Amino acid sequence: MTSGLRSEKQEPDPLHVNCQTEVEVKHGVGLHARPSVTFTRLAKSFPCSIEIAVNGSDVWLNGKSIIKIMGARIRKGSILRIRADGILAEEAIRALKELIERNFDEEKKHGRTA
Amino acid sequence: MAEPLRLKAKSASPGIASGPAFLAERPDAAPASPAVGGYSALEKAIDISIGELEHLADGADAESRDIIDFQIEVLRDPTIAEATGARMEADENVVFAWVATLDAYIGELEAADEEQMRARAVDILDIKNRVLGALAGTPIADFPPGSVFVGKDMEPSRFLAHDWSKGGGIALFAGSTAGHVALLARAKSVPMVVGTGRFSAADGDPVRVDGYAGAVILKAGGMLIPAPAQAPASDTQTGSSELRTADGVPILLSININDPAEIDALDPATAGVGLMRSEFSVASVADAANEERQLAIYRRVLEQAGDRPVIIRMLDIGGDKPLAGLEDLPALASGLRGIRLLLARPEIARVQARALLRAAVFGRLSVMLPMVTFPDEVDRMRELFRKEAEKLGRRAIPHRMPAIGMMVEVPAAALMLDAFGSAAFFSFGTNDLTQYLAASARDDMDADAGKAAPAVLRLLAQAVKLSAGKPVSICGDMAGDPSYVPRLLAAGLRHFSVAPARRPAIRSAIIGLNADGTRAAGE
Repeated sequence: MTSGLRSEKQEPDPLHVNCQTEVEVKHGVGLHARPSVTFTRLAKSFPCSIEIAVNGSDVWLNGKSIIKIMGARIRKGSILRIRADGILAEEAIRALKELIERNFDEEKKHGRTA
Repeated sequence: MAEPLRLKAKSASPGIASGPAFLAERPDAAPASPAVGGYSALEKAIDISIGELEHLADGADAESRDIIDFQIEVLRDPTIAEATGARMEADENVVFAWVATLDAYIGELEAADEEQMRARAVDILDIKNRVLGALAGTPIADFPPGSVFVGKDMEPSRFLAHDWSKGGGIALFAGSTAGHVALLARAKSVPMVVGTGRFSAADGDPVRVDGYAGAVILKAGGMLIPAPAQAPASDTQTGSSELRTADGVPILLSININDPAEIDALDPATAGVGLMRSEFSVASVADAANEERQLAIYRRVLEQAGDRPVIIRMLDIGGDKPLAGLEDLPALASGLRGIRLLLARPEIARVQARALLRAAVFGRLSVMLPMVTFPDEVDRMRELFRKEAEKLGRRAIPHRMPAIGMMVEVPAAALMLDAFGSAAFFSFGTNDLTQYLAASARDDMDADAGKAAPAVLRLLAQAVKLSAGKPVSICGDMAGDPSYVPRLLAAGLRHFSVAPARRPAIRSAIIGLNADGTRAAGE
């Protein structure tokens, strides 16, 4: 076989983990079309599965689905739980949390037109 | 000339625009290319659609890009693939699986409490149709620069693909000031009003959009089309055509058409359309799944017919009449045809029912069911129409319940016509009736037709007596052959529907005959 080094590794892949966080949405209109697009695009850039649950609900929604995200009626003050499972899960959680805390970069976009 | 009509509306984008009306919901001129395969065809159509949208996004302003980005993100939504895949596993055709999945999302959005959410429904409708267009190989049609777009709602991609530098405006029957198109119109300073209610206008009529006051002015006059009410077309009573037998009994002479273009030259003496075979204008599975395209086709026929009645027959597919792209359907392998196929594949029937319900607002529409054998088939289809009407009602989409009648082309139905209490009218299809009555092989039909005629005519005469005073007509080939006219009159038939080319010959045959089929004196 070509790679003796890899076959030695018996423990779980350190890149394959699950990870969860909680964050409050502060954006004025919540997750309408544009912030939802920003969110799902970022989520899709990670190979791990990403799910969200809103306001303590135990229904987990696919975080890469614009339809699920928009349908979740996430509004200002909503508490979002995000969990990721798989490769780069930690990085995904961190990036998505930061995106929400940055208000989906909406200010930047508005600064241009308004 | 009629007085100009001013209709109140909501201003969605300020400014004044005048121009010829462009009526949306018209059929596309280009014929659909039929081939539609499995899931890979859908994936390809989605990819094509994403490519088209990315092309539109090139050089678009920030607002336009936001909308296109949203649409692309929906096309890339992993749950759409899952939901469509699940429907396909439940044995739905890929095109209908796509339509049903998207329609479910559109329905959810339309039912949302917030206007911001409801306004997204048209964005999804837009991509649904864009993908159907890609499946059928026809892109969404643009309209002439400088014209005023008139329709229920407008798809963002139509707005984006259009050249607004020549002016023009938008007047929407429904629509929303919070919709993407309203946003785009304000950004591009295109005058736009919404919520006018449905009004009548012809293509090219001069229209003025007042986006300051919130009004649309129809310079040639026009009228608001009232909300749905029950006004089924009746087919026998009216004297809109002058045709009478020699002894003065009024006879209706209608035409059979296969394509909306055939109605453009509708003779004023024609009583109406006695049979439109929808399977010829809905020629592929992508069209069968496309409610908007079907609506446009039916609407065009109804508007051309004006106040004359139009009978549209639901898709008579199966048997020797396959629908391109549906050849692999298990229901077809079992030999189902006509209404039995439609009931076995309700996803096909539901799309057509919705298109017909919506089209009924535009004229005197009746719907005819093909190849009915037993009364419960009519009941079940009526129930399907009732359910779809209810759904349209919940979505506040204008519609009207048409009269629903049936073809009489199966001997078992012809013999039991009095048992079909829920059929509103009957029309004899003599080709199939002859074949099934005489046990003809499909290839020998012509040879048998003459010999079987006495049996067919006797059956017709009996069936007419069983029709309980409901409208009865004949639309099969026998009606277009002058040599049968005496015996058809004698059988009690008073409504003939024939190919346009046969009309003059049948007309002159009827004029020379008495209502009992005897030759008039002096002829």
